[in-house]
Formats: sequence, structure tokens, C-alpha cells
Amino acid sequence: MAQVVIENLVKVYPEKKGPGVRAVNDIDLTIEDREFMVLVGPSGCGKSTTLRMIAGLEEISAGTIRIDGRVINDVLPKDRDIAMVFQNYALYPHMTVYENMAFGLKLRKFSKADIDQRVKDAAGILGIESLLDRRPKALSGGQRQRVAVGRAIVRKPKVFLFDEPLSNLDAKMRVTMRTEIAKLHARLATTMIYVTHDQVEAMTMGDRICVMKDGNIMQVAAPLELYNRPANMFVAGFIGSPPMNFLRGTLRTSGGRLEFVENGSHAHPVHIALDEELARRGAAYVDKPIVFGIRPEDVIDTVAAGDVDPSRCAHVRVEVSEPMGHETYLYLDTGAHSFVARVRSSDRFQGGESLRVGFRLEHAHLFDPQTETAIA
Amino acid sequence: MRAIARIRRATIHAVLVGYLVWVVVPMAWVAASSLKSDRDIAHEPLTPWGTEGLHPENFARAWNQARLGEYFAQSVVVTAVSVIGILLLGSMAAYALSRFFHPLGRMAYWLFLAGLMIPAQLSIIPLFFELRALGLLNSLPGLILVYVANGLPFAVFILAGFFRGLPRMFYEAAIIDGCSEAAAFWRVILPLARPGLVTVAIFQFIGIWKEYFYAFMLLSGGGAEGARTLPLALANLAVTSQYRTDYGMLFAGLVIVALPILLVYVLLQKHLIKGITAGALKG
Repeated sequence: MAQVVIENLVKVYPEKKGPGVRAVNDIDLTIEDREFMVLVGPSGCGKSTTLRMIAGLEEISAGTIRIDGRVINDVLPKDRDIAMVFQNYALYPHMTVYENMAFGLKLRKFSKADIDQRVKDAAGILGIESLLDRRPKALSGGQRQRVAVGRAIVRKPKVFLFDEPLSNLDAKMRVTMRTEIAKLHARLATTMIYVTHDQVEAMTMGDRICVMKDGNIMQVAAPLELYNRPANMFVAGFIGSPPMNFLRGTLRTSGGRLEFVENGSHAHPVHIALDEELARRGAAYVDKPIVFGIRPEDVIDTVAAGDVDPSRCAHVRVEVSEPMGHETYLYLDTGAHSFVARVRSSDRFQGGESLRVGFRLEHAHLFDPQTETAIA
Repeated sequence: MRAIARIRRATIHAVLVGYLVWVVVPMAWVAASSLKSDRDIAHEPLTPWGTEGLHPENFARAWNQARLGEYFAQSVVVTAVSVIGILLLGSMAAYALSRFFHPLGRMAYWLFLAGLMIPAQLSIIPLFFELRALGLLNSLPGLILVYVANGLPFAVFILAGFFRGLPRMFYEAAIIDGCSEAAAFWRVILPLARPGLVTVAIFQFIGIWKEYFYAFMLLSGGGAEGARTLPLALANLAVTSQYRTDYGMLFAGLVIVALPILLVYVLLQKHLIKGITAGALKG
């Protein structure tokens, strides 16, 4: 059992003048036993600071952190039963790989035989047996990261902390290590807390994802839940690539149906007749400003769909067409908004071309433009 | 174009060769003279070996008769203990000053640096009385104490720059691995600062091994048999030979004193250069 409970956690960095910078702003978060929790957000959102407070590398300004029910605010890092993998690996350059991995065990006075057993086991899991006598300098980035992970797992801690461990690797190695860490989690069945700014890592690795911004938690949910039901515009825009499109407009009643009408005085403002579900959600916003959110894959071009429903379509101009190979991103312009569509790569378009696109509404969202929260 | 480049190169080489000659000839002359008889030193100063053959017994005389052997041992002890003391205290002070924020830390750092700017001659009189009051005059421990204190500013200056240049993550990894603050310093941080430590060690070794002023001021009262370091003994040799100066012995003594410095420098110069540049880039 290693449940991590964070309550009212605050981190304030003092300034010479003024009240100080609030890097983490009164957050609550529970990480269940054996859960893989990803903290994700843009740089400066407080995710690393939160992790470092769990690790004991930053002092806690207010609030509590509990591991297994024990408040660890004033417990030294070495007594918290945690291990951490750093972004820059932080391997000790003057020690061999073996010594790097054995260091924590030696300090904890494990017997020589015990240390040897554990280091060899970990090296076996990570496939670095042949590197044990090398110095970190003689390793590639991927190998170094493996050793850093090995150094963490030999101790068999209650909680693993990862601070952007893959950011320094090249794209290919990042994908490999991503799956390896996920496998490792399945194998070790230990609580892991993983910080990243990369939403792909978050989506692919996390049991749950905690999205942060400016020291606040925006939403905590399972990856698909986060993708399909973002709590606010920030999450909707952060998760998914390319991100969700937002159209600003007003809700109007027209012929007994609720209709989204895009802002702006251009020739063909987008009109979208809402389906029943969206109409129910938007009922309180009739004749009020609203934000319509739709993912690129729910924007369909006429080539793909034959003709689209005329009550849910838009006349747009293609600005750029980006072929990705298995699909193509179309950057479209309505006259007032730019947005992205994700279409089959067999459907070819030219920049400047005029086009009619339709909208699939099953996964469309409405947001309050003031609070930016999703309208449920 | 090509011709100009060649001339440039030739000029540079000529200057370098000139410099080499300028530096090496006196040393070679001393070395050659240390094996000559006094007559040859006086009459054949420029031939590499004189007319009277080699006189290696100059060295034996210097080592035994002039008791340089004895003083050599004392010098080794003084230098070794001083350098170790400087490294130990200097690294700890530098680490604390570079690592932990304290309102007085900045001031302490500047105070250390101020030590670099005050010449020994300026403080020698109060220092003399202080040591006398402590009963440490004419004793090797007293001299060691002065050397350590004198070497600390340089050590703190170099090492603080080094520690500041070390990424914080090594310390953090050590703390999470289970180190106490002390263990993190001794087992992780200090080994990483090795180039800096070697730099300080070499500079201090050379400085202390040939140090004359403090040794002369603080050890001279103990009579001819007292505590003495090599430079002091050597100077004594030159000044107080009874009827005539034994130049052969004097040159042999010079070689004996200079040899360890040359040796240390040749063995460790790689580290020295690494240490200086690393400090410069990261400091």
C-alpha cells in the first residue's frame, strides 16, 4: 500500500518585495496505491514543484503530503521511502554503473550479497547487465536513463517519482523508453508519479492524468475521459494534437432549434444546428456568447462525407495543408476563426481552395467564454 | 598568402624557442653546476662539464653535512600537512559558502577574498606577536597554522566557483539516495570537485614548498638546530658558510629543493590545466 494524499498544498517562493510567487496554489490530489499518475502542464505550471515537494527537495509552504497515511512534511527525503529519476539523469560521474545503482543500498547498509542480487536483478530487467562496469560518460542517453531508472528500482521504494525523464532523449528513444517505463509499472505494481510537459506521454502512460496550469489543478481524470470530457478550455486545448478548435459565437433559436452562430461580419459565418444533447447543455445560454469546441477529427470534408448536413456546415478556405502520411491536417479559415481539420491523406487540397466542411457533434463541447469551463 | 602564413608561423616558433631557452638555460646551468667542482664553477662557468670531472659528492655533502636531508623531511611534513589542511578546510568552507544561503555568507566570502589581497609583509608583525603569545613561534605546527590560514582564501576562491558550477541535481540525487548532508558532500560532491582540488593542491604545494618569508620570520629564533624548512636551510647555507662559500654544495641543494616541484608539475600538469579551465568556465 502506498497511497499519496496531497491536501491544500501550497508553495510560495519568497520575493524581495511583494507577497512572493505562488508556484503551487492550494491543490488537493490523491494518488492511489499502484497508480501511475501523470502531472502534466506547460512549463511553470507547478508540476515539478509539486513533485519536488513530494520528494522532499522543496520545502512545503502550507498543506500536507501523506504517504501511506503518514504526514511526511518534515520527514527527510531519505526516510520517505521514495526514489526519483531526474531529467538529466544525475548519475554520479565518478562511479561505475554498478556503483551508481548500489549507492543507495550501501548507504542503507544492505549486505554485499543483497546489493549484488538487487543490482543484477534490476540490470536484468532493464537490459543493462553488460554496462555495469562502465562509467556514465561512456553511455548513450538512453542507456544513462536506464541506469537512472535502475538506481531507483533497486531500492524497491513505495513511490517512484519521475521528473521529465525522457525530455533529453531523441524522439525515437523517447518512444522506446515510454513503453519500457509503462511495462516497468505493470511489472513492479508500485505507485508512480510522473511529471511531463508532453501530452502524448501523459496520454499513453498515465492511469490518470492531472493537468495543471499556473499552480492550479485544471482536471484530474483517466486519459480518455480527459480527452472526451475536458472540464475546461485549457484542458481541451492542451490534450490532443492538434488541439481542439474553438469557435466564438452566440446561441440563437432558429426554427425551433438551437443554433450556434459564429461571431464576425464576414460573408459566411459558421452556423451549426445543435443536436439534442448540446441543446440541453446550452439551454441557459440562448442569445448569450458561448464557445463552441470541436476536435479536428470531428471536422469532415465534403470529399470524405459526400455531402454534409447543410445545417451543420461551414464555408471555409484552406490556408495550409500538412500531409502527415497517414492523415492530413488542414488549416482552415472561416473568415473570423482559424481551425484545423484532420482528414484522410487521400483527400487532397490546395492552399487557397474553397471548401465546405461538416461537423460531427457527438464529441463537440460548449464552454462558457467568461469562466472557460465546460458547460455540462 | 601562404608565404605570409609561413612567416607568421616561423616567427611564432622563433619566439617560443627563445622563451624556452630563456627558461631552460638557467635551470640547466644550475643542474650542471651542481655536479662541478668549485674551481670549475668559477673558471668554466659556461661549459656543461668542467675540467675536473663530475662531482656527485656535492649532493652527498648537501644532504648530510648541510643536513638538507633532515630539513627535507621537515619540509615534506610541513607542506603535506598544510596542503591537506587547506584542502579539507577550504573545501568545506567553499561548499558551505556556495551552497547554503546565509546573510553573513556573502560577507564571509568577501572576507576570504580580501585575504588574497593583503600581502604577507603587511600582517607579519601582528602575526609574529600572536604566534609568540600562543607559544607557537619557532615550531613547525605554528608555521603550518599560518600556511593553512594563508592558503584558505585561494582555495575558497577556486573551490567555491567549482561547487557553484556543479549542477544541483547531483546533490539532490544523493539526498534522495539516502545521504545525509555530510555524506552528500564527502561521497558525491567532493569527488566531483577533484579537478578543483588538484589545482588548489598543486598551487599550494609549490607555494609552500618554496616559501621563505614566513619561515624566515617565524622559525629563525630557534637556533641552528631548530625547526627549519628547506628554503630557510638553503639560504642559511649560502649566508653562513664559515670561511668560503661551497658553491658546488649550494647548487646541489638548489637542485634538491627544485626537483620535487618539477616532478609534481610534470606529473599533474594535465589536471592543473583542466582545473584552471574548468574553474574559469563554470565559476
